[in-house]
Amino acid sequence: MQLTFRIWRQEQFQDKGAFKEYLVDHLTEDMSFLEALDHLNETLVLKGERVIAFEYDCREGICGQCGIFINGRAHGPHDHVTTCQLHLRSFQDGDTVTVEPWRAKAFPVVQDLIVDRSAFDRIIAQGGYISAKTGTAPEANAILIGKETADKAMDAAACIGCGACVATCKNGSAALFTSAKINHLNTLPQGKLEADQRVRDMTAQMEEEGFGHCSFTGACEVECPEGISIANIAEMNARYWKARLFA
Amino acid sequence: MKSNRLFFRKNMIALTGLFLCLFLIVHLSANCLLLLPQDTARGLYNAYSTFLRENPLIMVVAYALYASILVHVVYAVLVLIRNRKAKPVKYAVNLHKENSSWASQNMGALGALILIFIIVHLVNFWARIKLGIGAEVAYDEAGNKDIYEVTYTLFQNVYYVAFYTLLAIPLGFHLHHGLQAAFKTLGFYHQPGLQWLAKVSLIYAIVISAGFGIIPIVVYFQ
Ligand code: HEM
Ligand code: SF4
Ligand code: FES
Repeated sequence: MQLTFRIWRQEQFQDKGAFKEYLVDHLTEDMSFLEALDHLNETLVLKGERVIAFEYDCREGICGQCGIFINGRAHGPHDHVTTCQLHLRSFQDGDTVTVEPWRAKAFPVVQDLIVDRSAFDRIIAQGGYISAKTGTAPEANAILIGKETADKAMDAAACIGCGACVATCKNGSAALFTSAKINHLNTLPQGKLEADQRVRDMTAQMEEEGFGHCSFTGACEVECPEGISIANIAEMNARYWKARLFA
Repeated sequence: MKSNRLFFRKNMIALTGLFLCLFLIVHLSANCLLLLPQDTARGLYNAYSTFLRENPLIMVVAYALYASILVHVVYAVLVLIRNRKAKPVKYAVNLHKENSSWASQNMGALGALILIFIIVHLVNFWARIKLGIGAEVAYDEAGNKDIYEVTYTLFQNVYYVAFYTLLAIPLGFHLHHGLQAAFKTLGFYHQPGLQWLAKVSLIYAIVISAGFGIIPIVVYFQ
């Protein structure tokens, strides 16, 4: 099959970028979207042009690196998938596909389709962990955790930090990511010890990084490859009230 | 703990928004008197409005109402400015229709329409009755200010009927998203409760929007 890719090209952060069109032939519908970009890059190498910069690692939907805005949706036309799990069968032969980097003040473009998501790392650094002595793994049953609690924490912990929530949000809000990280730990007994401090510090960093307000449009939970629910944001808000009023 | 503007502003919008939502219920209930036949409606409506004007508690509520509108709008503007800054470059193609409701994406524009409505509405009624701007308000047989007459004459003008009725539509959209968002902003996260809340918000928005939208038309044909 044949597709026209309309891809955002930008040398580096300071530069003005622009779209460039590439007619790509010899594609098959079983190719993943990233394989199609690989294929395009091979042709660019042969022509001696700079290849299109895009990020990936696992290519199996678990690392969260492959964030790309495709035809007006984060990670392409489907709900709850990563770009590496998107295949060309989702497009029609002859389609034009617009490919853009994540757009947000807090996610500056590094090159082409790669953005700097280290704002997320700095939010994590403010409390997305528990303080514990490392060493040999403790006995698993030393702290008993009910199944429902474990499941709830796990649902939030599923966040892979891809940034689709920020990318799709009209306000560039990081509320879904931050709430997932806070709720994951604050739900568990190990995380409760530093619960209020975690809420205070991680939300403060979220503000510091220049993310927008949450308007509860719900776009984030639809584009999130892990289907993290926006109820997490409401829960974070409740935790914020608690930390603010009682801590 | 230091206050976080991302939370503070949204909490202010949500609290004032919910207060305004509560007010709309009371306001619509009273205005339903206007749906009655003219003779009955005039007496009841004027008596009710005199009761409101002379009740000191209502005066407090009235000031809380003006303050709420002001606070809601001021923080809404601050929120919109920051949100715009957080998203400096727009996508060339963006299909947000596929992942979110139109109202949720356009709360600012919807709010602006409501603000225009509120200003015109206050000029039509509040300025005339309270400030005495425009034609003097007469008294009815019971000795109450004839607010019914003010309403009736206003809605003999088709342009005002159209304006009031059409602007009830953006109000409905604002409320459908706003009511549920406000509860989530304030930290309501109970899962089955949220589904219930979505339904209640829809019903609330339809009732308020249809209610305020129909009254001018009915009064026009009285
Ligand atoms: C009868 C009048 C109004 C009522 C009952 C009302 C109600 C609400 C409610 C309940 C919310 C949800 C708060 C939240 O997201 O947590 C809201 C949000 C909002 N309101 Fe209003 N509102 C009214 C008038 C206005 C006006 C006049 C404006 C003018 C600009 C406005 C602008 C906004 C904006 C921008 C938001 C969304 C903030 C965001 O993006 O998260 N509203 N409103
Ligand atoms: S919440 Fe979902 S969309 Fe946001 S970073 Fe985590 S996995 Fe990605
Ligand atoms: S490359 Fe790892 S999730 Fe797509």
